[in-house]
Amino acid sequence: MSEESKNNKKSENSKGFVLPGDLLETKSKPGKGIFRKDGRVYSSVVGYSNDRSGYMNVNAIKGRYNPKVGDKIVAICAETGPSVWRMDIGAAFNSTLHHSESGWKVPFGDTARFLSIGDAVWAEVFMVDAAGSHQITLKKDDCRKLYSGTVVKVEPTAVPRVIGKQGSMITAIREKTNTRIQIGQNGFIWIDGKGEDISKAQKAMETIDREASSEGLTKKIEKLLEK
Amino acid sequence: MAGQTDMELIKDGVRLDGRKPDELREVKITAGVLDNADGSCYLEWGNNKIYAGVFGPMECHPRHKQKADRAIVQARYTMAPFSVNDRKRPGLDRRSSEISYIVSQAFEKVVMVEEFPKASIRVDMQVVEAHAGTRCAAMTAASVALADAGIPMRDMIPACASGKVNDVVVLDLNKEEDNYGQADLPLAIIPSTGEVVLLQLDGHLTPDQFEEAMDLATSGCMDLYKIMRDALDKSYGGKK
Repeated sequence: MSEESKNNKKSENSKGFVLPGDLLETKSKPGKGIFRKDGRVYSSVVGYSNDRSGYMNVNAIKGRYNPKVGDKIVAICAETGPSVWRMDIGAAFNSTLHHSESGWKVPFGDTARFLSIGDAVWAEVFMVDAAGSHQITLKKDDCRKLYSGTVVKVEPTAVPRVIGKQGSMITAIREKTNTRIQIGQNGFIWIDGKGEDISKAQKAMETIDREASSEGLTKKIEKLLEK
Repeated sequence: MAGQTDMELIKDGVRLDGRKPDELREVKITAGVLDNADGSCYLEWGNNKIYAGVFGPMECHPRHKQKADRAIVQARYTMAPFSVNDRKRPGLDRRSSEISYIVSQAFEKVVMVEEFPKASIRVDMQVVEAHAGTRCAAMTAASVALADAGIPMRDMIPACASGKVNDVVVLDLNKEEDNYGQADLPLAIIPSTGEVVLLQLDGHLTPDQFEEAMDLATSGCMDLYKIMRDALDKSYGGKK
């Protein structure tokens, strides 16, 4: 019994840090990162529990990107077919970009002329099916092929930290390094600018990724960029 | 196996390495040690040294192994050529294929495979130094690596062996006890439910001794579970 109460205290101290199989005491509706058994809710991943939104969620510390319709992402071409591109978006499976969703007039079998392996695009997820396959499109808003620049990969779970509250973090990085940055929801970040500036921004991204669950990050990054 | 030996492996309730019959060797676990794997773990258990790395969920290859409604776990247990006294020929052999298979089966029970149809979760376990009990140690390391990779699962599985030396049931056999003892019983359980996901037995045990060995291994697993939790807590829980 004393063991039990000790455990509870510990999880309170570390801000709802939970491990797979931990019972979550909540009256909220079940959200993500959890599973139900005998009417009770348990955590299924390593992360921080939170039920303030009315849903019992566990925000995982790590994990692959789980595509959602409407997400803006950076995708990298992994394979070319006669009428489609297979794009790496950091999910369990490669995503499909059909030529009719590209906005280009692609002759059959000539896909590689428009996008070849290693090329990056700024795209939107427009279809996800139950079997786990998904498609992306370039025919939305500002979607386009990304020329020059570089792509940095961070944990998808760290993306909110890279953006910051009301975009405070990303604004700071953009201004301090004088770069153009596009942050994909999948944790792929496209950075363009002068060589030095890119490596500076890249270093900032890597720091955020490494310390995603610590406080006062924006200040720390600002300090890092001023050096 | 099950050999009668003149070796005195346990004397006045103290074993060769100074442990009591119900004592584990020292276990050290570090999560997230490899940058290139999605999740990883380094484990030291007595003189055993093991790395585990997890990749996935990702597209399953070869394609004919895909399951339309769920993911599969592809575990691979390998021993480094320098992990044992006589150089081990590298590559898959009878023993490592067996261990890879049973570990895959065990993990498919806890990983939420139904969330990732057609996918594969690769678990690679590399034994760098072996000193008896590597299948349990490798499984424990793999559990932590899976949790570290953020793969949803119902629980982590600790694995621990018990056995019999000089007619005494003991926990967590070391090299000498494994080689010259009378029985070896590796066990892996799901701590929250007590379900058994791996159970093997080499040697001879009477029904009473079997019960005793099971109880001992179960309590060993529970002790180990605490160490696994502490390791993950240390890696990630301390950050606020």
